Amino acid sequence: MTAGVLPRSTNRRVGERSRARQRPVVRPLLIFTIAVILAFFAVIYSRISLDRTAFELQRLDREVVAEQERHWNLRADYAHLQAPELITQRAAALGLVYPEDRRTIEITGMANTVGGPEDRWMDMRALLVEQP
Amino acid sequence: MARTTFRFVDFRLIVVGLVFVLAWAGIGYRLFQVQGADAATLAQRGFDQRVRHETIQAKRGTIYDRDGIELAITVHAKALVADPSLVEEPEEAASILAPIVGADYVELVQRLKADGRFTYVARRLTGDTVDRAREAITSADLVGFTFRDEPLRLYPAGSLASPVIGLTRLDDGSGTEGIEAVMDTELSGRAGKRIVERDQAGRAIPQAEFLLEPAVAGSDVVLTLDREIQYTAESALQAGIDRSGALGGSAIVMSVASGEILAMVSLPGFDGSDRSTLDPATLRNRAVTDVYEPGSTLKVVTVAAALEEGVVRPDTPFETPHEIAIGGETYTDHGYNPAVMTVSDIVEKSSNVGTIKIQRQLGNEAHYRYLDAFGLGRPASIDFAGESAGQLQHVSEWKTATAGTSAAIGYGVGVTPLQMAAIYATLANEGEWVEPHVVSEIIALDGERTVTEPRRHQVISPETARTMRGMLRRVVEDGTGFRAEIDEFPVGGKTGTSDKFIVETGRYSETDTIAWFIGIAPIDDPEIVVVVVLDAPSGKIEDGRYDMKFGGTSAAPIFAEIAESALHQLGVSPTHDGDA
Repeated sequence: MTAGVLPRSTNRRVGERSRARQRPVVRPLLIFTIAVILAFFAVIYSRISLDRTAFELQRLDREVVAEQERHWNLRADYAHLQAPELITQRAAALGLVYPEDRRTIEITGMANTVGGPEDRWMDMRALLVEQP
Repeated sequence: MARTTFRFVDFRLIVVGLVFVLAWAGIGYRLFQVQGADAATLAQRGFDQRVRHETIQAKRGTIYDRDGIELAITVHAKALVADPSLVEEPEEAASILAPIVGADYVELVQRLKADGRFTYVARRLTGDTVDRAREAITSADLVGFTFRDEPLRLYPAGSLASPVIGLTRLDDGSGTEGIEAVMDTELSGRAGKRIVERDQAGRAIPQAEFLLEPAVAGSDVVLTLDREIQYTAESALQAGIDRSGALGGSAIVMSVASGEILAMVSLPGFDGSDRSTLDPATLRNRAVTDVYEPGSTLKVVTVAAALEEGVVRPDTPFETPHEIAIGGETYTDHGYNPAVMTVSDIVEKSSNVGTIKIQRQLGNEAHYRYLDAFGLGRPASIDFAGESAGQLQHVSEWKTATAGTSAAIGYGVGVTPLQMAAIYATLANEGEWVEPHVVSEIIALDGERTVTEPRRHQVISPETARTMRGMLRRVVEDGTGFRAEIDEFPVGGKTGTSDKFIVETGRYSETDTIAWFIGIAPIDDPEIVVVVVLDAPSGKIEDGRYDMKFGGTSAAPIFAEIAESALHQLGVSPTHDGDA
């Protein structure tokens, strides 16, 4: 009859302790595992993201270089098209000839001397510094 | 006593055991070797395969003409390079790439099969070719091929001013001739460095490129050349060479006040963009490297010195027989001149006898002093590669009795066309010698400009210079230089013809001459000096009446054409109405 004397609450506590001893601690482990997995995926995602950004930067670099190439090639083409020899050839092909009789028109106020470097490079200076 | 019997099964076990033991021992040995003994070496080798130190070539500066138009420009190009140790099928790779990049198939296969880890497949590829080659490499999955940035130097105006501008080397892009060589330090900039990790196929790994030192682009160089005047001068000189059958020639157009070279021609020339046509003989800039005896064109120094020293006046008369004997040498005049001529007449008729008489009154010491002051015997400028100093012996070495008299009429003295341009510019610039120069300014990347300040010094008085210009005007009006006359502008100048000295034989040629004309335009308000020199002109003009070997017949018309066009180009008003 001894068992009947024991209070019910005491019996329940003993039972819980016993169950607690038997049941593994799942929740923290689960949370920890999920956190680790999430962190793992986060690291992977960040690496992939970084790599994507790197590829994007590389692509942009290539574009910049390509644009610079275009810039310099266009300047070379422009200079080539201004070559006096080329212009003379094209003019001849169009049937243009030097005039036999020339008339000179003098415009009052126009400089009559060879300009110095300062005169010639006022506008070009800024352009040169900004070139790629 | 027990006896062990040998059984076949035991033997097989032993063999298998031994094989295992040996195999594991081998693996263990290899493991030890790779991870232990040779670990450092192998790690370094792997690192070297993956990680490369690369040089970033600095962009070479641009060379401009005086109006800011590119004469030499660097564009981006690519070199297709291969690592033969990685190329699996050289024949297949060559058959794909050779037609695209324009390489020879057999030669390319040989290079791809060669030992070593680097070979060029093709160089200086641009635009569409690069795209097509890249696409072919990707689609055929070729391994071991990569593109490298490679600058390409272009000369947009072709052969225009090529001996002045010069050339760069193909391998490292450094200047070898002309302004490219003289201004190489300024144009080159500073190369940069980077570390690049590459994968097995040689491709750069993203995020694995580290810039150690950025490349600094070279400065731009602005020349004093004017493309239009340069073109006109080249065309006129070439036409003159064709007319006279000369071996070559040079011409210079120089601004008298500033010393700027507006045009400098040396023919035959070359096209720096087309290296297949390069000939070493055409690389030199004859206007600064070739030394000639100036002949009568140097008489102006003798006369100017005598005037400046007060030894003679323009109207001082001299007896001028047809010939004069000095120190065992006989000097004669071309044609027959009056028996008595003034100093002005002597210049106008280019009398050797008269000039020699003036020199004898002047004396060797004073004569030498003026030859030196006019810049002979040393390079006229610092802007030109290989510029000759000419030849002027110090007066203390004028041992023979004829040294001074020969120098008076332009023999025994070696000059470059550039030195002669500076002499006549001095007469045109009120007696002040200004250093001729072709580099106008250098513009650094940060915009800092270094403008050339030419050296200057007074040689003769403005009065003497004006008097000399008056005499030079008469040479064109009534004397030997009448073919240099221009309708719209009064010009002055001096003809010169010297026998060509043949270096190989050590004697003067009996047929070939060096023909000169040096003029000032306009003579009453000088803007430019034009020098024209022809090497061994020949033939006849005007129904065979005149020999082209003389400066007055072959060089003077070229002067007229160049000077007229240059003055128009410079916007000089043709409203001059009188002589100087």
